[in-house]
Amino acid sequence: MVWSWFIVLLATLPCLWVADLLTDALAGTNLILFVSGAAIVAPCRRLKRWQAVLFAACVGFLFEARRPIPPGTLPFLLAGLSIFLTSNRILLRNTPLVLRGALICNTLACTAWFTAAGLRAGAVTAGDLGDFTLQLLLQVGLAAAVALLVFVPLALIQDAAMDRTGLPPALESP
Amino acid sequence: MDKHRQGATASYVVLALCAVLWVVLPAAVHRFAQEAFAEFQAPALHLAGKARDLARFWELKSRDKEEILAASRDLARANAALELQLRRYDDVRKENVRLREMLRYAPPPEYLTVVARVAVRDSSTWWQRIVIRKGSDDGVRAGCPVIFSDRVIGKVAVAHHTTSEVDLITSPNFRCTGFLEGDDQNRIVLVTGAPGRGLATGRARVSAIPQDYFYPAVGGAPKVMTTGLGGVYPAGLILGHLEGSQRTTQDGNFRESSLAPTRDLFSLQEVTVLVPKYPTPGETLLEDQAQKRLDELR
Repeated sequence: MVWSWFIVLLATLPCLWVADLLTDALAGTNLILFVSGAAIVAPCRRLKRWQAVLFAACVGFLFEARRPIPPGTLPFLLAGLSIFLTSNRILLRNTPLVLRGALICNTLACTAWFTAAGLRAGAVTAGDLGDFTLQLLLQVGLAAAVALLVFVPLALIQDAAMDRTGLPPALESP
Repeated sequence: MDKHRQGATASYVVLALCAVLWVVLPAAVHRFAQEAFAEFQAPALHLAGKARDLARFWELKSRDKEEILAASRDLARANAALELQLRRYDDVRKENVRLREMLRYAPPPEYLTVVARVAVRDSSTWWQRIVIRKGSDDGVRAGCPVIFSDRVIGKVAVAHHTTSEVDLITSPNFRCTGFLEGDDQNRIVLVTGAPGRGLATGRARVSAIPQDYFYPAVGGAPKVMTTGLGGVYPAGLILGHLEGSQRTTQDGNFRESSLAPTRDLFSLQEVTVLVPKYPTPGETLLEDQAQKRLDELR
């Protein structure tokens, strides 16, 4: 189905908004609850490559829309990751591997937007590298923890949406 | 298998081409994409804000009647006192206008006030923002000052149709000039937001503090107030107060210190946007530049 990616995106949106609301609750701690990287992994098991790329790019744009991140950083990174995942589905053949994929994607994407935003703000200087690394570790650590905690319910929602659109199930040995 | 690998390589090539095209495309396209996705999410932000208002409404409704009656009585008293003050200020304003006319002094900028509820808060090391439920449809423009009572909260960074993003004074993008309380010579200091450190609440930085500035510690930490220069913020609004020890800068001419906001910026429920009645000098300059660019294109 051509519009499967959009239906999966609509199913994912509430989860992204809940993450935004939890970020609101965390305001004042300088941390963002980032799940966009983990959100692209489960759809990459079942969607066609072009659909997965569109889905990933939209997820990236949704995160960037209200934040001062250099435009295009996250959408292109997530699109690149989705091409890699759809080309190597064998890496996502069982639940532990999918969970590992979500962890890696979320931390990679988090590192990318954090560094890009820091460079854009002009606040990353040679003298501040220690502070920058500490902040990056805090943010990436949270992103990793969130990916582990949130991935299973998120993937269940996305899989239910993909089942409804009639997509074939992911193969155990693609 | 080869076909599959070829397909993947082709996808990477197409993605790289798209990325190059994206970089080359004018900023207007980037802004359009960002705006489209922001507008797509706006209803959800409104919903979140309204849900919070509803929860607050039911919380207030569950309160004791006597408590509400007492609050209402206190409010009535405060209103009566404020009405008296308003009348007094009206006389002062008229006299001020008359004196300005006599001296042919430029009138201060006038503002319309737009009260807005806070929808969500978003804070990271590199930005500290709140999203408010008023946007360009309500007259809010980018660059408008945002205040709460007589305190500066920040300025509008981006105004969408029904929502706006506000950069708080602790955000690294924030810049403003200020006067220090107790400085009779009214020397100007610079207030800038600073990147967040650890899990601590954001702080701003006050630089260019004169070496001979001294404030007695009796009345608490000195306040930093807006200068009114530059035409963005009205004069006399409180930016915050100096916090901690003052350090001498490397060149030894000035000192710098941290600025603590006068209240927790992330606990605000409602703020006021001051919309200039007439275009500010900055807006006029940008308009002129845009007009020149249009003329050049023609």
